[in-house]
Amino acid sequence: MHLQRSILMVILMVGGLIGRPDPELDRLFEQGNEAYQSENYSEAIRLYESIVTRGYDSGVLYFNLGNAYYRIGNIGQTILNYERAARRMPNDPNVAFNLKLANLGVKDKIDVPPVFFLFRWYQGGVNLLSARGWAVLFAALLLLTVMSFAVLLNVDFRRLRLFLRTVCLIAGILGLLVAGLFIQKYHNETADDQGVVMSGTVSSLAAPQAGSTELFMVHEGTRVRILDSDEHWLKIELIDGKQGWVPQSDVIKI
Amino acid sequence: MSGLRKYSLILFLTLLIAGAAAQDVRFSASVNKNVISDKDILVYTVTIEGVRDFPDVPPPESPDFVLISGPSQSSSIQIINGQMNASKTISWQIAPTRTGKLTINPVSIKYHGKTYSTEAVTVTVTTSVSGQSRSQTRTPAPAQPAQPAQPTPGQNADNRKGDVFLKAVVPQTTVYKGEELIVSFDLYFRNNVRTYGRKKLPDAQGFWIEEFPASGQPTITNETVNGVAYRKATVQQIALFATKTGELTIDPMVVDCEVVQTNQRRRSVFDDFFDDSFFNDPLFQSSKVMTFQSEPLRIRVKPLPENGQPSSFSGAVGQFNTESSIDTQQIQQDQALTLRYKISGSGNINSLKMPPLDLPNSVEVFEPKINKNIDNSRGTIRGSVTYEYVLIPRRPGLLTIPAATFAYFDPKAEAYRTLSTRSFKVRVSSNDNSQAGQGAGLSKEEISLLGQDIRFIVRENPVWRQAGSTVLGEFWFWLTNALSLLVLIGAASLRWWTDKLETNLAFARRRKAWPKVQSRLRTLQEMAAGEAGMDFYTQLDQALIGYVADRLTLPLAGLGPKEIEPALRRRGIDTEVISKVVNLLVRLDEIRFLPGMVAAEKPAELLAAGRDLLTNLSKVI
Repeated sequence: MHLQRSILMVILMVGGLIGRPDPELDRLFEQGNEAYQSENYSEAIRLYESIVTRGYDSGVLYFNLGNAYYRIGNIGQTILNYERAARRMPNDPNVAFNLKLANLGVKDKIDVPPVFFLFRWYQGGVNLLSARGWAVLFAALLLLTVMSFAVLLNVDFRRLRLFLRTVCLIAGILGLLVAGLFIQKYHNETADDQGVVMSGTVSSLAAPQAGSTELFMVHEGTRVRILDSDEHWLKIELIDGKQGWVPQSDVIKI
Repeated sequence: MSGLRKYSLILFLTLLIAGAAAQDVRFSASVNKNVISDKDILVYTVTIEGVRDFPDVPPPESPDFVLISGPSQSSSIQIINGQMNASKTISWQIAPTRTGKLTINPVSIKYHGKTYSTEAVTVTVTTSVSGQSRSQTRTPAPAQPAQPAQPTPGQNADNRKGDVFLKAVVPQTTVYKGEELIVSFDLYFRNNVRTYGRKKLPDAQGFWIEEFPASGQPTITNETVNGVAYRKATVQQIALFATKTGELTIDPMVVDCEVVQTNQRRRSVFDDFFDDSFFNDPLFQSSKVMTFQSEPLRIRVKPLPENGQPSSFSGAVGQFNTESSIDTQQIQQDQALTLRYKISGSGNINSLKMPPLDLPNSVEVFEPKINKNIDNSRGTIRGSVTYEYVLIPRRPGLLTIPAATFAYFDPKAEAYRTLSTRSFKVRVSSNDNSQAGQGAGLSKEEISLLGQDIRFIVRENPVWRQAGSTVLGEFWFWLTNALSLLVLIGAASLRWWTDKLETNLAFARRRKAWPKVQSRLRTLQEMAAGEAGMDFYTQLDQALIGYVADRLTLPLAGLGPKEIEPALRRRGIDTEVISKVVNLLVRLDEIRFLPGMVAAEKPAELLAAGRDLLTNLSKVI
């Protein structure tokens, strides 16, 4: 009796913490949607960006923002915002579709080198849920494991014990697995080593100083990995492994 | 000179050809300079043009001049575009008789019943400073009739500067930015320049300069400046297009000229031999290379008007035309077609810019091939720019190439003009076995995406999160995990408790003492309410002893007040409480073992005393 009531209380508290509504943000978001629907895309961008400026975001917001930038033809911002949305909603088919479509407009067509299939599977597994999703799953599994274990410790019904032992074992193993995936995904999401090229054409240099040898060109919208930074320069790596230095202002981190 | 002799032969021949159209008769007079010293000789020249048979020309008449030699005559004939133009010059050498502003009266001729007269010429005569003798410089007039007036050796060297000069001529000094401005550099001279060469082209900051090609043989025209007859040759023409606004300067042009030197003749025995008109010819005169430069020009460049400027305007100024063409109207998917735009006309061709193509994204567009062609041979800068786009439609259907607009500024009309090319419709047939994308670097999947539109925005209000927040910074996550931990600790403690109760007897007795005695007291309560027999006292006694024994883990057998007292004392319990316990137990024993001997108290009172005592004991043991 007592335990049930406290669980209910916890659920209510958790629910209350997650769904804390902010009417002002919702108002801005709705106005942005209206502007988008009346094809006033720059106004929609202004409204959506004002939410970001207030220090709040969400996957959906970045998705809509990406759409608005796509409409005005700003390919760099489009890719940046879709990537941000994809980070928060890794399994949203709309985000994936629009990102793929927007990537057609990117000038750099880099051949992705083949990835070892086990690693690909692993990446796929990690990307099944967002870090938040993995965390929720982990907390739920932990609670289930612990509760079934608690009952198992103190109750002496033969049939119940058999059932609970199975539940406890499965939930425990799954919980460990999920914890691992969570750590990987959390690391991926908080890593600030991913960026998108923002300027039309950027020449990538051999050293972080103007006038050094030009190695290759990157174009607006190309996704790059940031390896190093040096005052006003960033060392980037393309998916195919090419490395070079570009001015810091030409790349925005996802 | 030899050329002129040739001309006189041609004149003779052409005079035989009858039937040339009658022309306007021009009759004019000029002097070789209009400021002279009183020791100088003036050459007065009368030119007749547009006649075929030359009438007699009387010598100039003026009371202030005396005739020294003349007339000497020269004729020329030119055939331009089939029209014959004959001219004759007659010159006299005259000398002033006094100083001041002197006027040479007009000369009149009669030709075909009409009278033509020249204008009067005014010459300023100053007192000569040098004591140069006139007689020394005077030479007999050249004997050859076709010989034109020569600059005589007597002309002063200091007048030569006025004899040759370079002048930059512009049609206007205010232009629009980007408007064509043609600058001519004219060399004025008086038969004393043999050759010239451009030394330095003018620099002009803020202009795009386009040179006109110099023709092999410059056309020489006669021009009278302040009454002095000069010959004029255009040395160079350039076209300038201002690239910025404000006051701009065109730097001077520098020209090297080979100028005939009219040095003093040496007096020697051979003089008589050399004093011949043949050696008087400039070919035998020495010459000197001299440098002349024009005056710098200041040009005001106006900005283009702001109002009425079309959005497609990109800086073109002049007069332009556009043309567009496409190589086919019917094409198979994934095959290339060529779209051509051509802008042609006169103006700043270099600044032409084609507005970007607005094509559906199912068409792949390559960077255009730009072909610039500038033609400077017709006195103005003309040309054309051709943009050649290669398009590859990636989807079958009707492809519409929208009209492109090109805007320019017409400086003559001072207005913007917008031209539109025609739009094209191309039928793209599908290519069933298309290996699409192999050439364009697009996968089959990507090809299928071309022409699709992005998915619509999400309109449901999302859950707002603090930017940069992670799940690890959230309360609920830690709360849930803490709850799990609590459950685990609770369950483990519970299990430990029950285990201890089962395995540790002393512990179990101690833990269960209180509930046991409480249930006994409840039974006693019922007994006290009813008919309490001897059994009641026994039960009460056992409850008390049992509780103490359980708490102190004493064996129950043979336990009485005498054994309990030292046990309690060993636990260091208050003597008062001990004596109370012992007293009650002794009392109960007396009641039980000596019935009727002692006055039995009421059971309820004893029970209350026992309960109080237990409450006190439970606090200390």
